[in-house]
Amino acid sequence: MTDVSMTVNGEERTASVPPETTLLTVLRENFFLTGSKLGCDVGDCGACTVLVDGIPVNACLMLAGQAEGRDIVTIEGLANQDGMHPLQQAFENLASLQCGFCGPGVIISAKALLEENPDPSVDDIRDALSGNLCRCTGYTKMIEAVQDAARIMRGESADEAA
Amino acid sequence: MVMRAFDLVSAETADQAVALLAEHGSEAMILAGGTDMLVDLKHDKHRPAVVVDISRAGDLKGIEITDEGLRIGALVTHTEIMKSPIVQENFPAMVHAAHTIGAVQTRNLGTLGGNLVTCVPSMDSGPTLMALDAEVAVAGPDGRRRMTLDEFFVGPRKTTLKENELLVDILIPKKNVGKPVDFLKFGLRKGQALALVNAASSFWVDWDKNAFVEPRISLGAVAPTVIRVPEAEAYLDGREITPDATAEAARLAVEAAKPISDFRASAEYRRDLIAVLTRRTLENAYDLAKAKR
Ligand SMILES: Cc1cc2nc3c(=O)[nH]c(=O)nc-3n(C[C@@H](O)[C@@H](O)[C@H](O)COP(=O)(O)OP(=O)(O)OC[C@H]3O[C@@H](n4cnc5c(N)ncnc54)[C@H](O)[C@@H]3O)c2cc1C
Ligand code: FES
Ligand code: FES
Repeated sequence: MTDVSMTVNGEERTASVPPETTLLTVLRENFFLTGSKLGCDVGDCGACTVLVDGIPVNACLMLAGQAEGRDIVTIEGLANQDGMHPLQQAFENLASLQCGFCGPGVIISAKALLEENPDPSVDDIRDALSGNLCRCTGYTKMIEAVQDAARIMRGESADEAA
Repeated sequence: MVMRAFDLVSAETADQAVALLAEHGSEAMILAGGTDMLVDLKHDKHRPAVVVDISRAGDLKGIEITDEGLRIGALVTHTEIMKSPIVQENFPAMVHAAHTIGAVQTRNLGTLGGNLVTCVPSMDSGPTLMALDAEVAVAGPDGRRRMTLDEFFVGPRKTTLKENELLVDILIPKKNVGKPVDFLKFGLRKGQALALVNAASSFWVDWDKNAFVEPRISLGAVAPTVIRVPEAEAYLDGREITPDATAEAARLAVEAAKPISDFRASAEYRRDLIAVLTRRTLENAYDLAKAKR
């Protein structure tokens, strides 16, 4: 067993796990943060996307030991007492998701994009979401929601025509 | 998927990694970004007793111009290549090649060194580097050795790297820093798609004669490893840059390649792609040369 400790959504968390445990498994099974999903388990689908030191990665392709001492943000880290994150709110307003399984990964990818680029083009958004597969929606309303959230986060109102 | 049990040790420097490999011998394997390694471990393709995690080895990072050329640490990620001002300035084709790999999440984890060591024929970092005569440095118990990518690549998933050796860095020789080069990949989608064919072309221009100087053409996914096309290079060397010359080079490239048919595309289709990508990369490299002049 190896002891791992990391900051998850602002809190210090530790666990004792076999070395061959992925970051995704620790998050879900030791820290009970089941927002990040296990889809393909091999890097294709993006359902497991989390931020590690601010950067979106596939949690299924990282060992828990490689996350030692790092700062992790999962979907559970986005909403706070004041309410949902603008991305979550925009996804709800536009009904951007259907079954929702891809949602946590998509929103984490979108959050990373908006932190780097507050005014992304549709192509920028498509590129940022190209590692998040959605079997239901066709992506259109997700892209609109990311644009809406971007406007809100820039201090404009969501429906200001672009 | 469950992985078999292994011990995980972390190397903070290249030397420590080499020492750990020496200590554990054939039982040990290197782990960098894990985008190939974890998939292989989950599919039970490797059974290491010890996994040496190099993801914190700072001296394997970094992109810099040295007296010898442009040096890229083995641990540099595809995203770091895309964001590097040095790479952006000297080799936009490398930025493009890195951008075609997987998707954001994989590019944030996956490293250049891992891409070269995994050595699949469709690797997207290979052709541009090969067209620039790039060399790799590997470190083992007996010190370091350098070789060209030609020498490094042996076959599908096989390089000359020995069990106890570490890939340290990739060097584009000084004389080729700034050499016009273009890379194109044809996949079935923009994201998360392996290359059906990829290609890179590079050459200097003798402006008095408007002729090719030191032309290089490199192809991926059409042979057991990424290859160069010496026949087409010899044909172009010293020849005037004309549409006929690039068309003939493209034909020679098709002749030299040995594409296979698989579930992604037929050999016939790949041959058409080789011709088109070879011609376009030559044309684009020429445009780049004119813009830089
Ligand atoms: C979803 C997905 C999509 C992908 N799409 C593409 C694509 O479009 N194009 C493409 O080219 N690739 C693609 N890849 C593969 C690409 O991510 C890898 O080749 C990556 O670059 C490997 O780097 P890594 O750091 O993750 O290596 P790891 O997985 O950590 O290691 C890979 C291998 O190299 C060895 N190794 C790593 N670093 C060293 C070193 N410094 N010295 C010695 N040995 C070393 C390891 O022991 C292992 O055998 C994709 C992968 C995934 C999961
Ligand atoms: S579960 Fe990690 S990418 Fe699919
Ligand atoms: S909403 Fe069902 S997978 Fe995206």
